[in-house]
Amino acid sequence: MSDATPSSSLSPAAHLTLRCVLDELIPASSDGRLPAAGALGLADHALALAARVPQAPSIVARGLASLDALAHSRGAECYAALPQPERLAALHELAAEGAFLEALLFPTYAAYYQHPRVLAALGLEARPPYPRGHELPPFDVTLLEPVLRRPRRGR
Amino acid sequence: MSDDVVDVLIVGAGAAGAAVAWSLADTGMRIVCLEQGDWMNPATYPSPGMDWELRGLSDLGLSPNTRGLPADYPVNDADSPISISMFNAVGGSTILYAGHFPRFHPSDFRVWSEDGVADDWPIDYRTLEPYYALNDRMMGVAGLAGDPAYPPKELPLPPVPLGKLGETLARGFNHLGWHWWPSDSAIATRAYEGRAPCINLGPCITGCAQGAKASTDITYWPLAIRRGVELRTRCRVREITVRPDGMADGVVYYDADGAEHRQRAEVVVLACNGIGTPRLLLHSRSQQFPDGLANRNGLVGKNLMLHPYAMVLGVFDELLEGYKGPTGCSLMSHEFYATDRARGFVRGYSFEALRGFGPLTTAYHGMTSGVLSWGAGHHETFGMMFNRTAGLLAICEDLPEPHNRVTLDPERVDGNGIPAAKVTYRLSDNSHAMLAHGAARAAEALTAAGAKLTAPEVPMRVAGWHLMGTARMGTDPRISVVNEWGRCHDVRNLFIVDGSIFVTAAAVNPTSTIQALALYVADTMKKNLATLFD
Repeated sequence: MSDATPSSSLSPAAHLTLRCVLDELIPASSDGRLPAAGALGLADHALALAARVPQAPSIVARGLASLDALAHSRGAECYAALPQPERLAALHELAAEGAFLEALLFPTYAAYYQHPRVLAALGLEARPPYPRGHELPPFDVTLLEPVLRRPRRGR
Repeated sequence: MSDDVVDVLIVGAGAAGAAVAWSLADTGMRIVCLEQGDWMNPATYPSPGMDWELRGLSDLGLSPNTRGLPADYPVNDADSPISISMFNAVGGSTILYAGHFPRFHPSDFRVWSEDGVADDWPIDYRTLEPYYALNDRMMGVAGLAGDPAYPPKELPLPPVPLGKLGETLARGFNHLGWHWWPSDSAIATRAYEGRAPCINLGPCITGCAQGAKASTDITYWPLAIRRGVELRTRCRVREITVRPDGMADGVVYYDADGAEHRQRAEVVVLACNGIGTPRLLLHSRSQQFPDGLANRNGLVGKNLMLHPYAMVLGVFDELLEGYKGPTGCSLMSHEFYATDRARGFVRGYSFEALRGFGPLTTAYHGMTSGVLSWGAGHHETFGMMFNRTAGLLAICEDLPEPHNRVTLDPERVDGNGIPAAKVTYRLSDNSHAMLAHGAARAAEALTAAGAKLTAPEVPMRVAGWHLMGTARMGTDPRISVVNEWGRCHDVRNLFIVDGSIFVTAAAVNPTSTIQALALYVADTMKKNLATLFD
């Protein structure tokens, strides 16, 4: 799940762009408790999840190239070099076309909201449900007193 | 194997096939069941893994089209506002169901008499009552006696805990003076018949790794096999064959390697669900039955009923801990079950409470509903939703309409080249009105419970769990496919025991009734063995 080694399916430049896109999709929370998705190193994981849909990797790759091209047209070396407001504007422009975020948004959420650090920041134990499960208090039958005071309604 | 003749051949090892196999086994007859899926290994269910939520939305998702597993067959549901859910394995869709297990009401068997719509069943609640009770013991059903909405009944296990979420909703219903009751749940709340007790994992609908939820692979099947039933997995039936006199004489099926086999039988029992059964009948064409087996009146596949759902999510200020506990089993309400024509529709709906979601599912629902956006504000919206969301499902009674139907898809096929099922379905005006009422009342209940905002999904798209009516039961061969004990009018050694034979749908989850019917049909067969084909 780390971005230390860029994904083999993307060039280093495209990988950097993807990381910046993830930071725009899920930025850090204002209180700093929750990290940004790109900074958390989720680019490869999100890309791998996106690849479960056959056409998605090429859609993502084309979208990243479009963002870099847009950045070039605005005089920047690449998307990552744009000031943040312009990165956001460029992403909104691309998002309006639909396919790019359709391919990338849910995989980004999937990578992010299964990450142990995110789960811990949400106040959850970073573990799967099984085998420990969860404790719940037994059913409180006094809650039913109003129901039982009403006339029978069985048919 | 072509000369081998078994006494009873059952097609499908799900809720109904398991029950009928277990019941018939005590006759000592030679019984074989063919199941296109395989045994599930609970260790491979999602809940032991960190990716448990993602798997529930992908490889163990509810739609066979999305999963696309080798055992699945495609269902073309593009012409339906509700997509079809099912699972193919030993245990069938009980592997992925929530385990919400209410019975039909007595009034559900006399819809025409009560309300002048649809039809009455040829049997009544009293007839099924002992089979409901037997099935409750076999499946291990949890609940609380005394529900004023039902005739008296005893359940073998105590109810599933409500948790903070359920208690919050219960107070909302109490505030409004509305009926509610802890859900009847096919979940072992204590150790039961070799099953471990529920530990409130949460994601029951992706398979229960604990083995507490009553899927038939761990309830009926081990007992049926011990009684001598032979269960052959990864065997997909292509067609039911007939003798020159029009009686069924067995099936042709493909094994896991795609090799074609023939299995002859004295009696054939279909338990393939409300989509799979008409698909198989329609694909079993012969000189005697050119339009499909048991379809001389053209009713096979027609009158599909699905239970339209309205889902309303409510967002609360307080933490509800809804991810703890069985997803679909906490409380139910039958406040709006009976007809009140002042509401603008006939029949009614039940409420099933939906516990909250894990973080990824929260994000998924937020994304698909448009409530949760990416970028600035994402965390604020997510924080408002996660662990603070409860849901109510209004399960609406669907009335039988012949234009809602299952046919064979002209283009798509399964892995063995058998045509896919095609579903053509539209919501009636009655359903639209009921859904709108249900959504409004759900929002009212959630608000009364403290929700600060509510969001409806009407109709809920991924909600075609309940597949009913496509080979309906009746005493008149002109307007029904099977008689009052599941025997096909046209083919007297062919029986159907799944939801296909429902006359009407009621407004509750059907599995309890499907299994009670299967046990009743099996018992009636046993009582009439000497004259079974008369």
